[in-house]
Amino acid sequence: MQWLPEYRDDVPRVERFTWLARFTHWGHTVTFLLCLFTGLILFLDGVNWLAAIFGGYYGAGWVHRISALAMTALIGFGFVFGFKGVLVWIVDLLRFGFNDLKFLVLFPLEFFGFKVKVPPQTRFNGGEKGNSMITPFMVFLLMISGYIMWFPSYFPASWVRVAYPTHDIAMILSTVMVCMHGYLGSFHPGSGESFWGMWKGTVREDWAKHHHAVWYEETYGSMAGEKPKTILGLPVFEEYKSKPKDAE
Amino acid sequence: MANMTNLYDSSICTACRACQVACKNWNQLPASIKPFKGNYQTHEDTDGDTYTIVLMNEVDNAAHGVDWNFAKFQCMHCFDAACMKVCPKGAYTKTEWGATIHDPDKCIGCQYCTYACPFGVPKHRKREDKIAKCTLCADRVTEGLAPACATTCAPGALRFGDRDELIEYARERVKSLQANGYPNATIYGINELGGLNKLYILTDTPDKFGLPVNPQTYGTINFWQNWVQPYFGWLIPVALGASAVSFVTTRLMADKHQDHPVEGGHE
Repeated sequence: MQWLPEYRDDVPRVERFTWLARFTHWGHTVTFLLCLFTGLILFLDGVNWLAAIFGGYYGAGWVHRISALAMTALIGFGFVFGFKGVLVWIVDLLRFGFNDLKFLVLFPLEFFGFKVKVPPQTRFNGGEKGNSMITPFMVFLLMISGYIMWFPSYFPASWVRVAYPTHDIAMILSTVMVCMHGYLGSFHPGSGESFWGMWKGTVREDWAKHHHAVWYEETYGSMAGEKPKTILGLPVFEEYKSKPKDAE
Repeated sequence: MANMTNLYDSSICTACRACQVACKNWNQLPASIKPFKGNYQTHEDTDGDTYTIVLMNEVDNAAHGVDWNFAKFQCMHCFDAACMKVCPKGAYTKTEWGATIHDPDKCIGCQYCTYACPFGVPKHRKREDKIAKCTLCADRVTEGLAPACATTCAPGALRFGDRDELIEYARERVKSLQANGYPNATIYGINELGGLNKLYILTDTPDKFGLPVNPQTYGTINFWQNWVQPYFGWLIPVALGASAVSFVTTRLMADKHQDHPVEGGHE
């Protein structure tokens, strides 16, 4: 049984993520998981064995806070040094359209291994767009509510009371997204190649053509260099009904 | 065992604050010195080293001019205690006679209880990073003594005893007050929040004493404890389970359709 698709350097590869994107991504992975496991100790109403791993409740509390600070710093770092990349990411999310909806409708079938015909996708497919919108928004909520809970005396008491359920709901939704994202970005046979995109920075060219046809065509293929249509600087919600010629 | 509690009679209290001192003394709490604000209210609220205070409310009254309404304020030892509900460490317990006890050895200082309490009573003791509050002198009561505050009260405004008997006494006392110039006299604590293990005889409505009228557990706290914590979290194992199922089914289907690329996914 194959876990991850093999990393192949004997086939043409194209760049998918810069080192900065990968650094902030894996930085978030580590800090998010540390925050998650230390936070679950209290969410699950006092799990002593989990607390013991982090040196008891006080140790876990500090790991949670320091990881949260590191995550905040990473967000700042990503925004400052990778501002252009963040913009490109947001612009791709704004291209959410009919092809993405179709992807989301067909996705449950593909998820469990059925063969489906998915329309060409941009840099991020419909599911990735959803993840890119939900997870950062939840992390933003976690940050705001977390700092309120850390320094409750500086905020109105009613805010603190809202922060508790907000922190839990945002944790649950972001963790659900992270679970799905973690699985789809590694062990799911269809999308596993994207793991190498985030680990080494490149993906197989044929995989890129197959899974992100629009992105591939615009970045490396026949449309490379052409500016996407925009109105007032925003990309037009244009659909790519016809498949690029050389895609499967 | 019957519920044992304090009955505080605002019509007798002289606000001497001996109860505050006795509480500090018995619980070995250091003085909590606050800046002078030009009034008698030395402490505006309980804190990590002050379990009980006397609220001194000046209230306009058409008949009497100004009423100086005193109310001893501390943990109300609610029967349905919000602090107990939210504490992730189970640091709160109820004694069989109705006191809500906080165990500092279990406390991790998260302060969930401070913000969940409808009276805002449990307070963070910074020097220990733990919560502290009135114990209803459980250590004294289990040895057959009355709480320190009730023992020391010189005018006899604090009575300690069986809750049902105290309620009977309070009803008689309130009737007498109503007939003698306090038509709004009332008992506080019988039904509030499903019953408090602290009772008050008030010469006027609770709001005139700085006490919440009809206190309720906060909606956000109920939503958090009754819905988010027990149910919403199940989404996480559902996501993990679906991934595990997908891990197997995707590989089984790939084996079935060997003519398709091993990598699977969409066409």
